[in-house]
Amino acid sequence: MLLELNNIFKWVNQGGNRVFLLKDLNLEVEEGEFISIMGPSGSGKSTLLNVIGMLDGFQEGEYKFLDESVHAMKEKNRSKLYKEYIGFVFQAYHLIDELTVYENIETPLLYKNIKSAERKALVADMLDRFNIVGKKDLFPAQLSGGQQQLVGIARALVAKPKLILADEPTGNLNSNQGEEIMQLFKELNQEGVTIIQATHSETNAAYGSRTLHLLDGRRDHK
Amino acid sequence: MIRNYFKIAWRNILANKLFTLLNIAGLAIGVCVCVILFSFVNKELSYDKMYSNSEDIYRVNMETSEAYDYETWATMPNAVGPAIVAEIPQVETMTRLIKDDFGATASLKIGDKNYTEDGLYLADASLFKMFDFKFLQGNSETAFSEPKSIVLSMSAKEKLFGAKEAMHKLITVNNSDTLQVSGIYADLPKNSVMDCAMVYNIMDSWMGTNVYWSNASYETYVQLQPNADVAEIEKRATALIDKNVDKDGQYFTKFIFQPLTKIHLYSADVREGYSTKLGNITTIKSLMFLSLLVLFIACINYMNLATANSRKRAKGIGVNKVLGANRRQMLFLFYVETGILVLVSIIVGYAASFLTLPLFQNVTSSELAFSDLLAAPILVGLLLIWIVVTIIAGSYPAIAMSGISPLILVNKSKKKNSASEYVRKGLVVFQFAASIVLIIAVTIILQQMAFIKNKNLGYDPNGIIAISVKSAENQQQIDAFTKAVEKHSNVESVSAVQAMPGVGESGRSVQKLVTDNVGLPIASCRTNGKVVKTLKLNLLAGNELPEHIAEGDSIIYTLINEKILSYLDYKTAEDAVGKIINTELGSRAIITGVVKNFNFSSLKEDVGGYMYYKSSSAPEGIRTLLVRYNTQKLPQFMGQLEKTFNENLPNTAFDYQFVDRHVAQLYASEEKTASTATIFSALAIFIACLGLFGLAAFMAEQRTKEIGVRKVLGATVANLTKLLTKDFLKLVLVAFVIAAPIAYWLMNKWLLDFAYRTEMSWWVFALAGLAAVLIALITVSFQAIKAAIANPVKSLRTE
Repeated sequence: MLLELNNIFKWVNQGGNRVFLLKDLNLEVEEGEFISIMGPSGSGKSTLLNVIGMLDGFQEGEYKFLDESVHAMKEKNRSKLYKEYIGFVFQAYHLIDELTVYENIETPLLYKNIKSAERKALVADMLDRFNIVGKKDLFPAQLSGGQQQLVGIARALVAKPKLILADEPTGNLNSNQGEEIMQLFKELNQEGVTIIQATHSETNAAYGSRTLHLLDGRRDHK
Repeated sequence: MIRNYFKIAWRNILANKLFTLLNIAGLAIGVCVCVILFSFVNKELSYDKMYSNSEDIYRVNMETSEAYDYETWATMPNAVGPAIVAEIPQVETMTRLIKDDFGATASLKIGDKNYTEDGLYLADASLFKMFDFKFLQGNSETAFSEPKSIVLSMSAKEKLFGAKEAMHKLITVNNSDTLQVSGIYADLPKNSVMDCAMVYNIMDSWMGTNVYWSNASYETYVQLQPNADVAEIEKRATALIDKNVDKDGQYFTKFIFQPLTKIHLYSADVREGYSTKLGNITTIKSLMFLSLLVLFIACINYMNLATANSRKRAKGIGVNKVLGANRRQMLFLFYVETGILVLVSIIVGYAASFLTLPLFQNVTSSELAFSDLLAAPILVGLLLIWIVVTIIAGSYPAIAMSGISPLILVNKSKKKNSASEYVRKGLVVFQFAASIVLIIAVTIILQQMAFIKNKNLGYDPNGIIAISVKSAENQQQIDAFTKAVEKHSNVESVSAVQAMPGVGESGRSVQKLVTDNVGLPIASCRTNGKVVKTLKLNLLAGNELPEHIAEGDSIIYTLINEKILSYLDYKTAEDAVGKIINTELGSRAIITGVVKNFNFSSLKEDVGGYMYYKSSSAPEGIRTLLVRYNTQKLPQFMGQLEKTFNENLPNTAFDYQFVDRHVAQLYASEEKTASTATIFSALAIFIACLGLFGLAAFMAEQRTKEIGVRKVLGATVANLTKLLTKDFLKLVLVAFVIAAPIAYWLMNKWLLDFAYRTEMSWWVFALAGLAAVLIALITVSFQAIKAAIANPVKSLRTE
């Protein structure tokens, strides 16, 4: 078991009313799964990903990651945990504009205090694997959207996480580029990386091994 | 890792050119000002520390009695020094120091050439050892071993003799003493209050040998044994007063030992000293304060621009955090960024300080050289500035921005940072409040200076030359010269006097005819001439002093001012005319005339008692010729005067002064304050505007979409400009409300220094407020108009 969410509630208070973002949500994820989360806008897809990624908290329920209770952890240990095991891919890529492709990919390694020689090897592996060696000295603004997302994925992968969280990874791409990215995810999954993606598209969802439907913050079992 | 921080920081700096440029400009100006003023202060603090016995040397000052308002004087009777050495064993040695002729310009004659000299001193021979004189020719032991010897500084020697040999040459001083050069010493350090250009032996003069406890004209320096108890010695010295002076004659009551190293900066309240090289600790403190204020205003720019930029930066911080950075690492990144920017600013500012050094000469009135900017304390100061500015300017943005949540990436963290908004506004208000205070200060200082220039002094200082005749060989020469000048077609009137107004009168006191122990201290001035006409005094009653008095006439004719008149309780001026006046000139002094009060000294002081007198024989001599002239061709006129002078006083140097320039000179320090305040207020407001310009640019950028929408809905450029400038103007108005009372309080205090002062009028404040609003408006509207005329289609498409 990679992670387990039990009876998660998350809400915000709006004008005296309690608005539920996640309501009694349960989810178990085994290592090696490729899960797609679907649902209309505002159904809680992103919120769920943020909770899983430990970027955001919740009010009730419990969250276990590799049998450790995340909800009871201190901020410091929590960030240590996600630093170690989780990689993020964003719809808007979120590359650091001031850094080159190479440096963007290198950054997570820096924060993990990995030695220079090993860093070089790991980044070189990634560049090779995604065929972007020739672009390593370019800045994000000099790349197409598809290429930027490639770099985004390479950056998420370089620290060898167990879990990749992707929030609408193809949302800003055209269909060809989108397909390439999904194909890549499939390959990664086959190599053993667990992936959870949020998506609007049935086609993309189909790449996953199972699909989770959300509506108004709860599982939609229809 | 660290290298990576530097890389990111450097690229961030380059990525945002406007931000970087505005910050570097502001900080560099601040640094430049600080460097120059630090080096000035550094130099001021170095005064008199170079002598081997600096720590043990003191100047004896004395506190005067009630009649003299308990003033502290640096000069005292010539008996004090010898008595202190004789009676107090912890005092190793002393030297008395007095400027030749009590500080008047000396006339020197070498061969057939005449020179004027302001640095001629008389002193005891112990001066040389005490102050480490380095003799290039002769030596300190033998310098005064022959009677009538004089030693010259190297530059004085060059002035008088050029490259020629000077030893054993003769110099005639004021047509009375002839002295022989017995030594040449290296010029005294520039940063010393000792400013002797030449020294002769006080023991060759009655001044050294004829000791008494009355006339206070002598500076006295003592060297104590190392680690001596100064307070105890002061007490024992003070006890000598009772021992030597009758209770009735004690016009001074206490001796105060002032450490040599404090004389330069802490003598603002000490009167009568001879050194021309005095600074003022208050000036130093206020200059330091102002330069740090300018630097701080530049720091505020950094804080404001950095936080205004935080929306742009938020994404980067979010991404870094998602990739594993913690808050501490982000803090560090921001400090590195600030540190690099500040370092660049320091380099630019430091370089600029070398170029702008001449501009500040006027503020510091000290000749700073490049080497002063390279002094070790300055370099340490720069390091300190680097660290402190990085911390002050960098902390707020670093702390505010490192706390940004990574949720910003998924648009979940939209909370408006209202706290930082308030801080930013507060800081802008501070900048403008400081600028407005300075603007008001400058205006009021300039107003007061104009008031002083236009104030009717009760006499007319314009168009009068004061020619020194004190070194004439005899009275006949003076009389002949006076007659010759009077014949000149451009001369309206000539008066031979003891002193021009405010410089060199004798202190006397006037007593009421009934019993009066206190008396009114007055300035008395002997004259031969028609002072009312020459000075254009206002005669209230009686007559001008008589032009000729008969041989054997023993009456002393006096002309008093209203101050004396009212002290003597006369109801009207007419009542006083013809009455006897008791003023230490014997029983035959009568009041000939009464003149309106006139400001013979600075307008900082109230008018004191003043008396002109004329008599056939008098204790004081005639030293100055006041010449009222009437010509536009001043150079020719002066040439003719000099020619006449040389014909009549062939052995005396032609030394003169324009009375109006002397009057202007009384306010030199205020003029300096005015130019200092002007420079600093200009800098402060300029830097504040740099910041405002940047902020406006950010605001306009942030509201691009809003502006686009409004424009599509039909807003005009004017509407939009108003929308964007309104908020800033509010801040400036708040700043004005804060600044006005502070400025009022400060300037009220400053004006209290003057007995005669201008009114602080409301329009000065209104004007300063208006100026600030206008300056802010111009700065901001540039950005606002730019944003308002942009094509809305563009701004609405991006997103």
